[in-house]
Amino acid sequence: MSEKHTLDDTGNYEHPLYKTLLNTPGLSVGVASLDDLLAWGLTNSLWVFPMATSCCGIELMATAASRVDIDRMGTIVRGTPRQADVMVVAGTITVKMAPRVKLLWDQMPEPKWCIAMGSCAISGDFYRNLYSVVPGIDTFLPVDVYVPGCPPNPEALMHGLLRLQEKIQRQRKGEKVVPDVNPDLIHVTKPSVPRLCDAARTKEMDAAQLLSATNATTDETSEPLAVEFTGALPKQELLAADFEGVLKELGVEASATDGPPLVPAARHVELAQRLKALGYRQYVSVIATHWVAKTGRKGKDEAEPEHFEVVTLLRTVGAKSRVASWSVRLAPGESIPSLAKVFAGADWQEREQWDLVGVPFANHPDLRRLMMPENYTLHPLRRDLAADLPLAPWR
Amino acid sequence: MNAFLEALLIATVIITVLMTVTAWALWFERKFAARMQSRLGPTMVGKSGLLQPVADLLKLLQKEDILTTHADGLLFNLAPVLAAGAAIGAAAVVPFAPNIVGANLDLGVLFLLAIGAVTVLPVFAAGWGSNNKFALLGGMRAIAQSISYEVPLLLAALVPVILAGSMNLGEIVEYQSKHGWFFAWPFFLGIPAFVLFLLAMLAEANRIPFDIPEAESELVAGVTTEYTGMKFALFYMAEYVHTLVASAVAAALFLGGWDGPFAPGLHWMVAKTLALFVGVYWVRWTLLRFRSDQLMRIAWYFLVPTGVALVAGTAVWVVWRS
Ligand code: SF4
Repeated sequence: MSEKHTLDDTGNYEHPLYKTLLNTPGLSVGVASLDDLLAWGLTNSLWVFPMATSCCGIELMATAASRVDIDRMGTIVRGTPRQADVMVVAGTITVKMAPRVKLLWDQMPEPKWCIAMGSCAISGDFYRNLYSVVPGIDTFLPVDVYVPGCPPNPEALMHGLLRLQEKIQRQRKGEKVVPDVNPDLIHVTKPSVPRLCDAARTKEMDAAQLLSATNATTDETSEPLAVEFTGALPKQELLAADFEGVLKELGVEASATDGPPLVPAARHVELAQRLKALGYRQYVSVIATHWVAKTGRKGKDEAEPEHFEVVTLLRTVGAKSRVASWSVRLAPGESIPSLAKVFAGADWQEREQWDLVGVPFANHPDLRRLMMPENYTLHPLRRDLAADLPLAPWR
Repeated sequence: MNAFLEALLIATVIITVLMTVTAWALWFERKFAARMQSRLGPTMVGKSGLLQPVADLLKLLQKEDILTTHADGLLFNLAPVLAAGAAIGAAAVVPFAPNIVGANLDLGVLFLLAIGAVTVLPVFAAGWGSNNKFALLGGMRAIAQSISYEVPLLLAALVPVILAGSMNLGEIVEYQSKHGWFFAWPFFLGIPAFVLFLLAMLAEANRIPFDIPEAESELVAGVTTEYTGMKFALFYMAEYVHTLVASAVAAALFLGGWDGPFAPGLHWMVAKTLALFVGVYWVRWTLLRFRSDQLMRIAWYFLVPTGVALVAGTAVWVVWRS
């Protein structure tokens, strides 16, 4: 950003030319009324950049449509940040999305404003304690107007825009606009990151630094939670004959107990290749689960150590489709060979499972983060991570 | 010297009027679009939102001027000026009344087509200079589209030229006021040529249904993606001036220009131009956008052969009648 455009102490946008004019004797009257005119122009032509990521976006669209029609006050929606004045953040912002939102915000030309629309944008709403959600966009964007609601109805957003107009007018007159909140209504726990409006927050703390701080590791040596597992998986009644045949050839016993047959990791790729040759051409899914250590109950089930279970599901393509699924058990630290060379469709699915659960896939061509930000270090769906451990500094 | 002064005066008046009309054409379009979508459009800024263009202008004047890294500054900054200049330049030869014309060129129609072809250069300069993939794609689409639609535009404009035996727009209008509008007689040539001209004109001015160079759903805002403030406003104005001038030309070529009963010539010209202008809006807010390949197919498979047939037909008609 260029240095010509600065903010004065009250947070107002100021141009050096304006200051020079204002200090010229005799001109100040003219400048004052010119400034009124310019402020009038600014307030009556607020073009919106729709940063709509989820359900609130629908209401944002409804606000532009016939019943409410923000075009009445001269507001239109522009697709490019370069021509917008107000960024309306409508929806849940995830940790991965936040740097992108910040980038788009930085691409908007001054003077610009931001409206946080909906509880998600304001505080993270009920996703607040999720591993991937930013608890309020004011942790990285300067928000001017908060429009509460889940979702706020179009009238509320319109009201928010009108309040923004009021704020701009007052700011241009040199008033410092303080938020008018009713303290009785506030029971919100504050996030551990100071918000932009907090005095405690240093100026240097920008989004990039916030993000790199997500690498803060959690205490991985903590005792795993002891969980009792009582539900039984439905017994696999019927194995397709050809699938059973392949299993026999490979010397794998079709499991007499619950769930899909248990295949050793060494046989994983071979089994997939044989099944593909038999017509199981569709790679439906791979699901990895992290099981924490189980304390057995007398006479009912046995104790089990901590392990990962990876279930692969294939099916034949056609009218009478057959399904084959098997599971591979891995001790922590063990890896499972990747099927990406056998089924192209396995590539992203394995990436996702590695990203979220942390099962390493050996020989995967491109094992990068898929859902979480590139520099994230944890695997959020591991059972031993308490919900809010790895989320610093977003809360 | 006197002639020069007169031309200067007329030019000043025409440019001022064009810019003013354009500003409120924006207001009108917003109102019109709103009514098409059962909304109200601007109502709060001035009476019926009539001050909306002023507010927009004041706002755009105050916006930060951003030049992206690695952008070609010269091309990037020159493009909006050239775009506006070319669009206004085309207005020079349009006869608004028997003696209100910027430059009474004998090759008026040729000049118009040449200027129309030039308008694509600033668009491509903007696309190239922005250092933005969306802008570049938009610029390339604009070039492809403009070159394709140049041909049917030229062929359609040839029909009145052959019929009137002149390339001077004023003489074409005079011919029509004596022998009847080309739209009315010979209608079997006039009406298809008029429709062809309108279609090609919409494509040249990048209006829906031919607005793929700035298709919002795929290209953000096309060539104007990186433009802020007044530079963007210039582009926007250029597009509207272009449409306005093209409507005026269509009125002069096919609808008898200033010719009409009761009222003075200028009134008729303005009325016809604005009617065509509104027609363009109507199309814009009614139809959807073509795909890029469909657009090319329409031009080369359908419009160009029709145009060639029309020109040949006109030649035969002129020879047979004399
Ligand atoms: S606030 Fe409610 S409606 Fe809005 S994005 Fe969040 S969950 Fe959806």
